[in-house]
This record gives sequence, C-alpha cells and structure tokens, in this order.
Amino acid sequence: MSASKEKPTILAVDDTPENLDVVKGILADEYIVKAATSGAMALKIVEKQPPDLVLLDIMMPEMDGYEVCRRLKDDDVTRGIPVIFLTAMEQTTDEAKGFDLGAADYITKPVNPPILQARVRTHLALKQSMDELQAAYAIIKKHSERMEQELSVGHDIQMSMLPITFPEKPEFALHACLQPAREVGGDFYDFFFVDDDKICLVVGDVSGKGVPAALFMAVTKTMLKTQAADDPSPASIVTRVNDDLSADNPASMFVTLFIAIVNTRTGEFCYTNAGHNPPYVLRGDTTECLNQRHGPVLGAVEGVAFRESTGSLQKNDTLLVFTDGVTEAMNTDDQLYTEARLEELISGNTNKPDSLTQRIIDDVEKYATGAEQADDITILAYRADAEPVAAEVALLQLTIKSDLKEIERVNTEFGAFAAAQNVPPGATQKVCIVFDELLNNAISYGFDDDESHEIDIEVAFYKDHLLIEVSDDGIPFNPFDRVGPDTTLSIEEREVGGLGVFLVTEMMDECQYQRHKNKNSVIMTLKLQD
Amino acid sequence: MEIKTTETGDVSVLEIQGHLDTNTSPEAEASINALIEGGTSKILINFATLEYISSAGLRVLLATAKKLKATGGDLKICGLNDTVQEVFDISGFSSILAVSASQEEALASF
Repeated sequence: MSASKEKPTILAVDDTPENLDVVKGILADEYIVKAATSGAMALKIVEKQPPDLVLLDIMMPEMDGYEVCRRLKDDDVTRGIPVIFLTAMEQTTDEAKGFDLGAADYITKPVNPPILQARVRTHLALKQSMDELQAAYAIIKKHSERMEQELSVGHDIQMSMLPITFPEKPEFALHACLQPAREVGGDFYDFFFVDDDKICLVVGDVSGKGVPAALFMAVTKTMLKTQAADDPSPASIVTRVNDDLSADNPASMFVTLFIAIVNTRTGEFCYTNAGHNPPYVLRGDTTECLNQRHGPVLGAVEGVAFRESTGSLQKNDTLLVFTDGVTEAMNTDDQLYTEARLEELISGNTNKPDSLTQRIIDDVEKYATGAEQADDITILAYRADAEPVAAEVALLQLTIKSDLKEIERVNTEFGAFAAAQNVPPGATQKVCIVFDELLNNAISYGFDDDESHEIDIEVAFYKDHLLIEVSDDGIPFNPFDRVGPDTTLSIEEREVGGLGVFLVTEMMDECQYQRHKNKNSVIMTLKLQD
Repeated sequence: MEIKTTETGDVSVLEIQGHLDTNTSPEAEASINALIEGGTSKILINFATLEYISSAGLRVLLATAKKLKATGGDLKICGLNDTVQEVFDISGFSSILAVSASQEEALASF
C-alpha cells in the first residue's frame, strides 16, 4: 500500500491531544505520524489514504477504539493494517477483547518510548513480510494453475498416443501398461508389425514433463515407426532417428529407448538399448538380464552409430521391458523398489503378459503406498506362445515379368536352388508344377490391362518344409475360392479348366490366399520327407 | 522338352523328355497332331524320361485321346514317375486314360 514511500505512515488516534503529542514526539523521526482525535476522524483518514499502522486509544467518546478496530477489520481494504491499542486500562478481559477484534498488540499508558518504537517497528516489519508473502502466493498460485493445466495437456497427449488394442495371435501374447505419475512423466510404449511375421516393440522414457515432453515423445514414436517400416535393423533405425532428433533439439531433450524386432514365428529377436534400463527374458525358473548397451540416450549426440544384439525366445519365454519408474519407485522411507525386488517378484513367472504386468504394477503400488508416485511406470511383456519355427536355411527370391516365357526361368532357377538344398526330386517337381499352374493363371488372366507387370516369387527352404509365396498386382483373385473339377467324368465329358488350381491344392500341404495393398498373394507350404 | 518318335508296328511311340507344361505343351501338341494328320491312329506316349506334367500337358493328352477315340484309334501311356503318377491320380486321368507300367505292356494292350 505505502511500501514504496520512504517513511511509513502511522495514524495515532486519541481524544486527548497531549497523548497524541507524546506519540508524535517518540515516532516522528522515523515515521510520518498522522493524528486523529476521534474514531470517526480516524476512519475518514484511513479511507482517504490507508496508513501502514494504527495506534488506537480505547476509551474515546462517541466511537470507542474497539468499534474503530472492528470497522477496520471488517473492510477488505483495511483489514491488513496492524492495529496497536494504547490504553491506560490493564484488565486482562479488555486485552482479550482487543485481540479478539484482530488487534496486533497492546501497549499500556504511560507510554515507554523504546517499547513503543520497538513494537511499531516489529509490526510494520511483520506487515511488510505478510504483504510480500501474499504477493508471492498470488504469483505462485497463478503459475501453478497454468502448470497444472500444461501437465494435464501433456498427459492427455501422452496417453492418447499409446496403443491399447493388443494383437491376439496364436504365436504370442502381448500386453503393456503405463501408470502415469502426476507430474514428471514422458514414458511411452509402442508395438506394430513391420511385416507378416515381425513385430516391433518399443519402450521409451522422455526427459522432462508436460507438453514439450509429450511432443518430443510423439515425434520420437512417429520417427521410429516410419524408419522401422523399411529397415529391419534396430541399430540402424535408432541411429537414423537419433540423428534426426539431435539435429534440431534446442530444448536438449532426450529419450531412453529399448527397441526390439521380434520374429513371432521363429522367436528370434534383435534389439537395441539406447540408455534404457535393461529388460529381462524370463525362461521358466531363470531370469536373464539383457544388460547389453548399444549407445547413449537418443537426442543427445548426433552421429552416434548404435549397435544391436540378438536373442531368441522359446515357447513360454517372456520378454519384459519396463521403465525406471518401476525400479525407482520410492516408499514412504524414500527407499527404492530396486531391480532385486522386481527379479524376486517375476522369478519363475508363469503368468500371461496381462496378468504379469498387473502383478508388477500391484506390487510396486503396494510397496509405495503412502508415497507420491514420482515417475511414470511402464511395463511391456511379450510372451512366445508357440514352438518356434526353425529359421529358414535358404531363400530364393525372383521377380519376373508377366510373360509366359518367364515361367521357364522360374523353374530353372528353382530347380538349381532345390538341388543345392538337396530337396527331393519329387518335391521339386511338384513345386515346378505349382509354379506352372499359378503363373500361367496369373499371366494369362490376372491382369486387366496390356501393361507389363511384375510377379514376385519367394521360396524359403526350411529343414523340413518349403514355404512358397507368389504375389502379383493383378485384379483381386482368390484361386482357392472355387469348386474343383469333377474328376470322375469320362474322356468325352472332361474339360481341363480349373484343373491347375486343383492340382496345386492337392499337391501342397497348405494353401492360403491373401489380398493386401493391391497385391494378390498365394502362400503355400510343402512338407519335405526325410 | 524333347520328343523322340519311333514306329513299332502300327503304333507310334512318343518319348517325351523333360517337362510338359505351359511353354512346352504347344510344341508337343503340334507333334502329336502332325502324326494324327499323317494317318496314325494308335499312339503310345512314353513318359519314362518326363520329370513332371502340369494341367497344360494334361489338356494335350485329353485332346489327343478325344481325337483318336473319334477316329477309332487309341492313346496309351506308360512310364510315369511318382510325380506324374500323382498328377494322374489327382486329376482322375489314371482312370480315363490307359496307363501301363512299361512300354512292352502298353504295346501289348493295343
């Protein structure tokens, strides 16, 4: 109010002018002293310009000091002005009444100069501190509201980016959960298929909080997914994303990251750990810690060449990835949850991913009961549910033009490939027939224009079977969606149409048609006898 | 594919080597048609050196059998390997065409 004035203003109120003179004499050196000889006059002066402190006589005609004090304390503008009663009365009941009304202090008359000076100084200092505190509180409150709002927006962005529909496949089970902290956060997880068999798993922890962290996370997540679409190597994906993130990162944010690409059929996986806490592979009674590190956090340094490691999952093995929100959760004694506690909890795990992640969340919550959750808690678990299929031993890939003459080339190349892998002649002959049938159909009937098209052929040789795929960009056509020919008719009645596909389905052990991304894809399996 | 033609009595014996599929069947059909047009009515196709046959090859056999039957002649087949035998079985050709194990057996059946 008058804090900017050089001298604070004191209003002295007394119906005896001699008393006012005494007070003036004591305080005039340090303060501007205004005087009022009645309650009404005092209130008028206060209304005009509020003083920093009021010295108030109690016994006055018309309006006594109590009434003046009550009115000052009833008014929002004047409530904060400290009031010191000056009185000849010494009864304790009167003091109590004055304090009840909000008086700051009592001084008895006759006034002792040093005491009056000391009390005035004290209450002015208290008043000033109070004013500063209130101003600071107002600022903090305003900022805190804004911060809360920003945290909440950041949190919304973060949560909206997490996939919550988990794929259901016979080969594996997958689950992830993220328990957000109220303040600091920035965890995320992601999973997506990069091809028919391979799924990419990601768990990360962005430094910082609020909207900037959430946006950095969004960018990281998108970059990873984009790079992973045409890059099978986690190390290479992370290297490229790190360069992009580091190149333009004025806020110096960074993210710890674990990324794995898992072949859901073979159980083999390749992973890169960029400054993230090591995940576990749970195999029956043993818990294996994947403690290889492949580079620093992402976003910090440009030009780092990240590395990668490989591993493999057998049936019922679980890959468990999490953030430090789990192991660094604190209890009310500020003690960490720790890796040791987690390892003990998950040892000998037989749970499915959804119950395993829930079990960990529950245990951490129980441990930290009463303490505020300081960081996001994220857990992702992937369990192999099928016996892994042996990795392919050899692969033949061919792309041919939509020309019938090309079939010969396919069968010549396949013949050489099959001979090199010691595929039995009978199986080789069957596959040659299959190629002849499918390629003839596709080239003769599969395209509705006169353009030259490409047909992709892939043969994967495994120890005990061949996996064959023929794909073209022709008109959508499922060759297996037809009734086979009647093979019981006589020579005169027989037509050969439809026989080719029938031969294919009879000779192959499994036949499957898929249509995706403008492509017909026929996938077949032929078992190889020893 | 290579086709070797020999005459045994009034039977024309065709030995088809390699594979009978989309690309080779037109040539095989042309050779057979030339024989029929030249007056042959009894044809024996020996598949002893044939690796595999696809439906394109089966179509030629069916057409040949129909033509010969219409002229009172006959088509007989011999020397199927396991794969060709399987194709014949799947397609029902084993029961509509006369198939013998050896050339001698086939010649004797005309």
